[in-house]
Amino acid sequence: MKKNIRNVRNLGISAHIDSGKTTLTERILFYTKRIHAMHDVKGKDGVGAFMDSMELERERGITIASAATFCEWKGHEINIIDTPGHVDFTIEVERSLRVLDGAILVLCAVGGVQSQSITVDQQMRRYKVPCIAFVNKCDRSGANPFRVVDQLKQKLGHQAVAMQLPIGLESDFSGVVDLLEMKAVYFDGEKGETIRVEEIPEGLQELAASKRVELLDAASMFSDELMEALLEEREVGRELVLAALRTAVLTRSLTPVFMGSAYKNKGIQLLLDAVNDLLPCPSEVENTALDMDRDEAPVALSADPAAPLVALAFKLEDRTYGQLTYLRVYQGALGKGDTIVNVRTGRKIKVGRLVRMHADQMEEIDAIPAGYIGALFGVDCASGDTFVAPGLSLTMTSMYVPRPVISLAIHPKDHKAEINMSKALNRFTKEDPTFKTHVNPETNETIISGMGELHLEVYIERMHREYGAEVAAGAPRVAYRETITQRAEFDYLHKKQTGGSGQYGRVCGWMEPTAEADFEFDNQVVGGSIPTQFIAACEKGFRDCMAKGPKMEFPITGVKVVINDGASHAVDSSDMAFQAAARGAFQQGYFKAKPVIQEPVMKVVVETPTAFQGPVMGSLNQRRGMIVGAQDEGALCVIECQVPLAEMFGYSTVLRSLTQGQAQFTMEFLAYKQVPHSIAEELEKKAAENKKKVA
Amino acid sequence: MRNDSVQISTSDAAWSSPAEVIFIKEKFFAMLKTDLTLRNPLRCLGGSSEEILAPGQFGGILARAGVGKTALMVQIALNAMLNERNVLHVSLNQPVNKAGLWYQDIFNHIAAGLGGSQSGQVWESLLPHRFIMTFRTDSFSVPRLEERLGDLIEQRIFVPRMLIVDGLSFDEPVREMLSELKKIARLHGLHVWFSIRTHRHEDPGPGGVPKQLADVDDLFAVALQLMPVGEEIHVVPLKGVTLTPEHSRLVLDPTTMLVKNTAS
Repeated sequence: MKKNIRNVRNLGISAHIDSGKTTLTERILFYTKRIHAMHDVKGKDGVGAFMDSMELERERGITIASAATFCEWKGHEINIIDTPGHVDFTIEVERSLRVLDGAILVLCAVGGVQSQSITVDQQMRRYKVPCIAFVNKCDRSGANPFRVVDQLKQKLGHQAVAMQLPIGLESDFSGVVDLLEMKAVYFDGEKGETIRVEEIPEGLQELAASKRVELLDAASMFSDELMEALLEEREVGRELVLAALRTAVLTRSLTPVFMGSAYKNKGIQLLLDAVNDLLPCPSEVENTALDMDRDEAPVALSADPAAPLVALAFKLEDRTYGQLTYLRVYQGALGKGDTIVNVRTGRKIKVGRLVRMHADQMEEIDAIPAGYIGALFGVDCASGDTFVAPGLSLTMTSMYVPRPVISLAIHPKDHKAEINMSKALNRFTKEDPTFKTHVNPETNETIISGMGELHLEVYIERMHREYGAEVAAGAPRVAYRETITQRAEFDYLHKKQTGGSGQYGRVCGWMEPTAEADFEFDNQVVGGSIPTQFIAACEKGFRDCMAKGPKMEFPITGVKVVINDGASHAVDSSDMAFQAAARGAFQQGYFKAKPVIQEPVMKVVVETPTAFQGPVMGSLNQRRGMIVGAQDEGALCVIECQVPLAEMFGYSTVLRSLTQGQAQFTMEFLAYKQVPHSIAEELEKKAAENKKKVA
Repeated sequence: MRNDSVQISTSDAAWSSPAEVIFIKEKFFAMLKTDLTLRNPLRCLGGSSEEILAPGQFGGILARAGVGKTALMVQIALNAMLNERNVLHVSLNQPVNKAGLWYQDIFNHIAAGLGGSQSGQVWESLLPHRFIMTFRTDSFSVPRLEERLGDLIEQRIFVPRMLIVDGLSFDEPVREMLSELKKIARLHGLHVWFSIRTHRHEDPGPGGVPKQLADVDDLFAVALQLMPVGEEIHVVPLKGVTLTPEHSRLVLDPTTMLVKNTAS
């Protein structure tokens, strides 16, 4: 493994669904000679893209799990994570962004900045990942890369600046004008591997000159030297402009936009040059860890391979030979035979095999130095664990994990399927923190929960394919919640003093809604009316009630409980008695606090041809959707709406038939909101029926 | 007064039937409504917005770029939404999110003045009364708007009472377009407010009316101009309304963009 960290790039490729991320990665691997033949995502040869190594990914033409690979381009080593585009797999995107130093934001020249691009951009912003943009599909009918540049400015607030001009568009797209060199670049040969540089076609010279001025103007804001050169009307060199652009990209102040068509093999080599020239190397990115010994004080990490090790496990995979753990080393180096500590468990681990992944193929290596991504075999850990050298007590900031919003019951077909299912679930829950599973104690059903229909569907399919577990899935269920809407007081006495050892405890106080946390407990008891040793028991009693609401048995959130008085008995008071008193007090106060049911509401964005705008809005309205707005984008119209998840099951089929398959939609969790009375009544009825059945 | 009657009716309900208690949300809602009505710039001009513009009439807010046209229109819209009237906000060249942010911002300023932790709930209750529609300037036309409006009304998705048109350029000839819009406004009984951008370098026409309004003056029932004077932005009525003596100095607070009266 080469050790010059300045020539390393940890790169992510993120975008909206079907923007061509996987195709782009395929081309990058081909041009960097990592693969010798290109296959298309849904190509006629049936091979499928190299990075979509999962059988299911190749069949559906979507990327589910982010695959990691590396390649070399002009002396630089590039580690690439190809991330999924579907919003249900957002956790994969989040994870890869956490460990990356830079990203390519792929945008479709026809669709422009779409809803998922906005989500991805927010994620990049959260992790401060510098990015460059690539406007793909310039060969498609309706392509307009400059509209995309404008959208980057308007919709995402990027200071976007075009680095290239397309030569021809749609079917005439033949190459690009490099605005730095002021040359036309064509991509010849069967696979676009031969680059031909010529003078700019006459018709484009004027436009190119004006776009170059725009580019230089934008870049000059970040370099005094360049600004001076421009003011003095001196000739400015490529290196000077690149240095200014790089400074701007690293601080996320500017987004250079490149153009091309991955499918038609145009523009990829120039994009790779830009990755080398503009995106940061690991040592240019500031990473911090939290010191567990100093109250989680942030500690800056240095990319020095000689420093003590700090590494983060960001992805797990179950392989034939055991668990494969993907790691990013932030500080120090991880070598074969080293002893490292898992900060979460405190367990010491001896490092066995170290590998570097190339989709589903691997290459054995001796060490992973700081700034690199690699994988470790045979280590039992969870995703998000930090590994350090013995003696250190640092942890990387934990990753944001959204809560599951949808669940369904699964039933194994036979005993064999049951065993395989539990193996599969064990692996999936370790791999993906947004995928959860539990057994309903009343119905004895196994419930799986996740971020969307497709998310769960893919896991069920994987159980079948990878573990041979035949399972039948029930109808999807929405994760409802209960909460209170007003303050209510309680004063409850738990007293059992007839026969046997007695129980005595009285708890007084109030409960009120809070937006700060799921549950807050405030002890304002003075004068020892409840002895200090029983306060914890009171808190536990209240907390236990949160798991299952008295109204509908949904989990309760957003409740603050304050206790300010009570009573105890010298002999009969105990932890148990106060827990029971707290439970009683909760029941007493809860119904007075006007409890309501909340449901997950999704932000739904539909992109449809304008002709179908009316029917689409009607269909959303029928689903209790609140349309926030409709944005006219020429031939297309984007409708933004808030719809309860419970109403969205099967919407893709409805939308397809409404719009002759020409519309698409994305959906992501927005917030929990109160369900209308009529729906709440229905839910109550259903719950009562289910209770009867169980009884 | 409108807000008084609301308070009386809710408290009446509370007295007559103990089951119908006033929830905090409703109480806060009424308080907020009172406050907003007090802040309502048009109230200072002699009435509530509905009284100033009859259905089918046009109102214009004139100012140079960046002075606060959108902020003032959003206050008018929020006032209508608080009175449970639906507002269709048509924005040219601004994405839905950006237009939505104006509402959120102005509402937050108003709610901050009132205090209270229930503002989130009130905000949620206002949202169904707003529909943002954005067009690209080059593709905006009245027939197109009419078609969209038809979709909304026919399917009972959203029936607007007020139309806000933000970003229409009055530098081009717009008489024909406005006349068509007038027909639609009359047909659906809409109160329509436009933002009209004026320019620093242009002198106003006779009677101090900016050039942009002069050609279509007859179509507008009300016109208000925002004039930066020193560090203040004054709200100056140009047409259709007069300032009452106790509200003779209306200004737009540059930090919150809310209208306030500095005469008293």
